[in-house]
Amino acid sequence: MNTPASSDEKDLRCAEYVLGVLSDEERREIELAMQQEAGMAESLARWQARLMPLNEDVAEVMPPSHVWDRLQAQLGWTQTGRRAGLWNSLSFWRWTGLTSVVAACALAIVLTRTVLHEAEAPPAGPQYLVATLERQGAGAAWTATVDAQHAQIVVVPPRDFAIAANHSTQMWMIPPGSKPVSLGVIDPQRPTIVHVAQAQLQQLGTQTTLAVSLEPQGGSPTGQPTGPVLAAGRVEGI
Amino acid sequence: MPSRPLPGDGLLDAHRADTLRARRRTVYSQPGWNMSSRQPKEMRDATRTPTSSDTEGRDDLDRMLSAVALRDRAAFETLYRRTSPKIFAICIKVLRDRSEAEDTLQDVYVTAWNQAATFNPQLSSALTWLGTIARNRAIDRIRRRRTVSLDETTVEEIVDESPTPAALAQLSQERQRLELCLQALPDIQRNAIREAFFTGSSYAELAARMSVPLGTMKSWIRRSLMQLKTCLER
Repeated sequence: MNTPASSDEKDLRCAEYVLGVLSDEERREIELAMQQEAGMAESLARWQARLMPLNEDVAEVMPPSHVWDRLQAQLGWTQTGRRAGLWNSLSFWRWTGLTSVVAACALAIVLTRTVLHEAEAPPAGPQYLVATLERQGAGAAWTATVDAQHAQIVVVPPRDFAIAANHSTQMWMIPPGSKPVSLGVIDPQRPTIVHVAQAQLQQLGTQTTLAVSLEPQGGSPTGQPTGPVLAAGRVEGI
Repeated sequence: MPSRPLPGDGLLDAHRADTLRARRRTVYSQPGWNMSSRQPKEMRDATRTPTSSDTEGRDDLDRMLSAVALRDRAAFETLYRRTSPKIFAICIKVLRDRSEAEDTLQDVYVTAWNQAATFNPQLSSALTWLGTIARNRAIDRIRRRRTVSLDETTVEEIVDESPTPAALAQLSQERQRLELCLQALPDIQRNAIREAFFTGSSYAELAARMSVPLGTMKSWIRRSLMQLKTCLER
């Protein structure tokens, strides 16, 4: 990543970000740096405090009432339908998402089911790695459990999370010193099993960062994150 | 700002409609306006001291957003009612397209619902927090547009005016301090900063629009930002 070295230069990049003069790519770099580098979030917050008062110059405009209606629908507040089955139960998965360890246990259940299905010998001592993807240091959001033997990751989204219908959430892995590698689009509201290619699995170690970004529907058109990074976290052993 | 009535905004609007062109040439040459940061007193004298209702309104919104983090739907609805006119205006300003601004507005509040737990009232106010999300979403959106649809609009129409002293007097202390520091910048750099903030344009777009080399635009903006920082920290 092309992150400037000196702290003054970093601070200036934050100022440029808040002012809004950076390119799409540069904006993504800052957002990623904010997740990974100490002091960046504080620097951005200070620039926001400095420049955002300019918004007072903008005269208020009353939004049409259908925006509120659409908003409620998107948050699922207007629906009363019930979902059936444990697998499809959001509250079950959200509960399991509470801690990485619990998510790992949930994976064990998934594995048992898979094994029963495929009638294969269970793998001896599967190796798990976990990552808690935090939203700007504000606690756990997505939980990812890596099952190295089956080359898959179970990703559990945060509680009450929703995105616009014309967007997707996409999962990325960022090996140390490398560019993000797409792991594909994940369901924004339900747990997803992400299959990982063997080549990618080799890079998926305890120094790797996993991240979720907001992308146009169907995923990033460029192969690199184009939308804001929603959450990121380091992979850890258990 | 919905946290309190904003007579300044209405005033600014009416003023804009009436004297947009005329003011452009005259405003900076008015005595007492082109003041340096060494003479803040006369501006302070002209300002209204913030009433306790200002702070209360701001605290109210902060409390509401903190309640939203605890999944309080009623607080969310009140927060939406009180802040969405400002946030919608910010989206329209950058996007200059009502339908896109509506989509973005919806997006902003979905994000607010999802990420309210990341709001820290020690670091930011609810309105700054929401305004930041709105600007980021709107800027991301215009960056992804294939072409910059500024052709039909002339620079004259989109360059924003600094508020008049009368309008400024109705705004927050933070805004007034920022204006003092903006006024201490060379005119062209101040215009570049305002243009950048209100249009969300990239360096390249700004350079093209103001007909200067990219390097010049970058150094104007970067120098201005550093000057603003020093001035605001004084």
